[in-house]
Amino acid sequence: MRGEKRRGEEMMQLCNLTVEDKNQLKLERLQSTLNRACKNVPFHRNRLIESRLLPENIVSLTDLERLPFMERSHLGIHYPYGLFAVPLRDIVRIHTAPGTGTNPSISGYTKTDLMIWQKLVARSLESAGVTSMDILQINLPPGLANWGRDYKDGAENIGASVIPNSPLSLAKTLMVLRDYKTTTLVTTLAFAEQLMEHMFENERNPNEFNLKRVVLVGEAVGGDQIRNLEEHLHVDVWLNYGLSEVPGPAIAFECISHCGMHINDDHILPEIIDPVTREVVPAGQAGELVLTTLSARAVPLIRFRTGDMARLLTAPCECGTPLMTMEWLPERADNMMIISGIKISREQVKIYLKDALGVSNPLCTMKKIRHGGTEILAISLVIDDLLFSDEIKNLQKLMVNTSDQLAELVGVPVKITLTEQKPDGRDLLEK
Amino acid sequence: MLRIKNLKCSYGSIMAVQGVSLSVREGELISIIGANGSGKSTLLLAVCGLLTTWEGEILFKDQNLKGMSPPAIVRQGISMVPEGRQIFSPLSVMDNLKMGGYTIYRKGLKKQVLQDFDMVMELFPILRERADQLAGTLSGGEQQMLAIGRALMARPSLLVLDEPSMGLAPKIVEMIFEIIKNLRQEGVTILLVEQNARAALKIADRGYVLETGKMVLQGSAEELLVDDDVKRAYLGRDYGNFYDGRD
Repeated sequence: MRGEKRRGEEMMQLCNLTVEDKNQLKLERLQSTLNRACKNVPFHRNRLIESRLLPENIVSLTDLERLPFMERSHLGIHYPYGLFAVPLRDIVRIHTAPGTGTNPSISGYTKTDLMIWQKLVARSLESAGVTSMDILQINLPPGLANWGRDYKDGAENIGASVIPNSPLSLAKTLMVLRDYKTTTLVTTLAFAEQLMEHMFENERNPNEFNLKRVVLVGEAVGGDQIRNLEEHLHVDVWLNYGLSEVPGPAIAFECISHCGMHINDDHILPEIIDPVTREVVPAGQAGELVLTTLSARAVPLIRFRTGDMARLLTAPCECGTPLMTMEWLPERADNMMIISGIKISREQVKIYLKDALGVSNPLCTMKKIRHGGTEILAISLVIDDLLFSDEIKNLQKLMVNTSDQLAELVGVPVKITLTEQKPDGRDLLEK
Repeated sequence: MLRIKNLKCSYGSIMAVQGVSLSVREGELISIIGANGSGKSTLLLAVCGLLTTWEGEILFKDQNLKGMSPPAIVRQGISMVPEGRQIFSPLSVMDNLKMGGYTIYRKGLKKQVLQDFDMVMELFPILRERADQLAGTLSGGEQQMLAIGRALMARPSLLVLDEPSMGLAPKIVEMIFEIIKNLRQEGVTILLVEQNARAALKIADRGYVLETGKMVLQGSAEELLVDDDVKRAYLGRDYGNFYDGRD
């Protein structure tokens, strides 16, 4: 209850701030983030030196544009602790995300980081109407298990009863959902749809459930899909935006008026850039979302290119929030695919495929398919002389083994099909 | 109320404050903590007009303090309790307080000054007992109370305290912090500079951590109290070995 009061007070204070006060708050946090990053992380320091900048040259929020970008690949290059801005003994939690190259992305959290993060997740859940009277169930795929922990913490902070993320069968999940009288489900679109289909196939009436709302994470979901879920499950659907690397979920969330997503810009500063020219675009124009953390202690992000497409909305929201608002667009600015809410790097899959098959340049195409309600990464692998075997059994074994290996590495189910060599031998992936 | 942006203060070629931004909003108690030489006191000197060669922006109630003399800044509503108290030792307690009320007296508000005497005496009953005693004969704690009382006599909208716990016994420090906390509850806006990080954060709403002239952290007092970086900044210890203790 104390946490609730404090959060309420903080939001009230934020509402009472003038535009100048809010910008001052952001500037102060940005400057100290830069000071910490430059002092403790050689990567940030060197990049600032390369740009002929010192932290004290950043004297206003518009100066943010002068700083170099951070790419997702930097997290893998500096694996494991290269981007940490505090000594390891300050770290109380370590998360791993798949990354884009051979190395995963590691993020760490200090006690203060977790405290702030818990507050932000709680803020997003409260905005969806979650209170201490709710029973909140988390169902996220293994690739988003980190978010599961954050939602658990955030919901506990509100005082809701939490059923944490655990690997259960669909039937068991449904049983828990019904018997435990879950009111709020935090999950991905893929699982929500699977649940909906399963319920209808088994002739279960949504009225048997106490479910009031579904918080969807992992991908931008279209209006039609949301309406479909709302109608069939008799729930309200709320979208949350997060990063699976650092710092976590609930960076942006929907409020009661569903007029876009409010960004926790008192802790994470958004920019929208043209993904090609890398210039900041005028407010209202679509582009790639770039995020800068303002309060993260362990792993500060400075102008991190998310690969997600969004647009900042300028019209004030009916809910009177002091936070910035964005529209999350389904397109992507990078070459990643989203399967069950998890971002999959095509380049990384290809690296894994190379290692699994032991060939230098496997030719393949990738796409997302749905099978029995589950989203699957389908890889169509071109069989060449190196991989070919005249025994079907061997080829089958190759497909199954490689699928299993890849599924474990990527964190989503993988299905490999074999196809004949393309006459021109082009690398289909590059296409 | 107070908004500082990109403040730079130099002593000759040494830059003691290197582009610091901070703000104090009405009714808040803000603590600035940091080790010796981190630039805390220099920052306060700039705010109070005692240091004039600074760059950047200091706005108090939307008015730029650049070029203003210390008396003009006091008239604007900023009162300082300086480091080491700096009371007028050869003067009596009463006269020290009168000096604090000078700006109000000059405005011809004698009645107000008398009311303020009572207010300070009520806040610090010991000063009433010692009213005619020379200030130099007071104990450290009493002198600190006198210094705070003197600053309050100017009816400040922002009370600035520089190291109020310095040189005092732990029991007295506790008492002084209790007094500061009570002042805040009565609606006085306070900017507190302290080396005693824990005690300062415990009574503060928000805190800032300065390290060698740079702001490295800020946040709610609750967040900073659990932050190990605060301890490092306060102890002036460097980053050390990354794997320290986790090899």
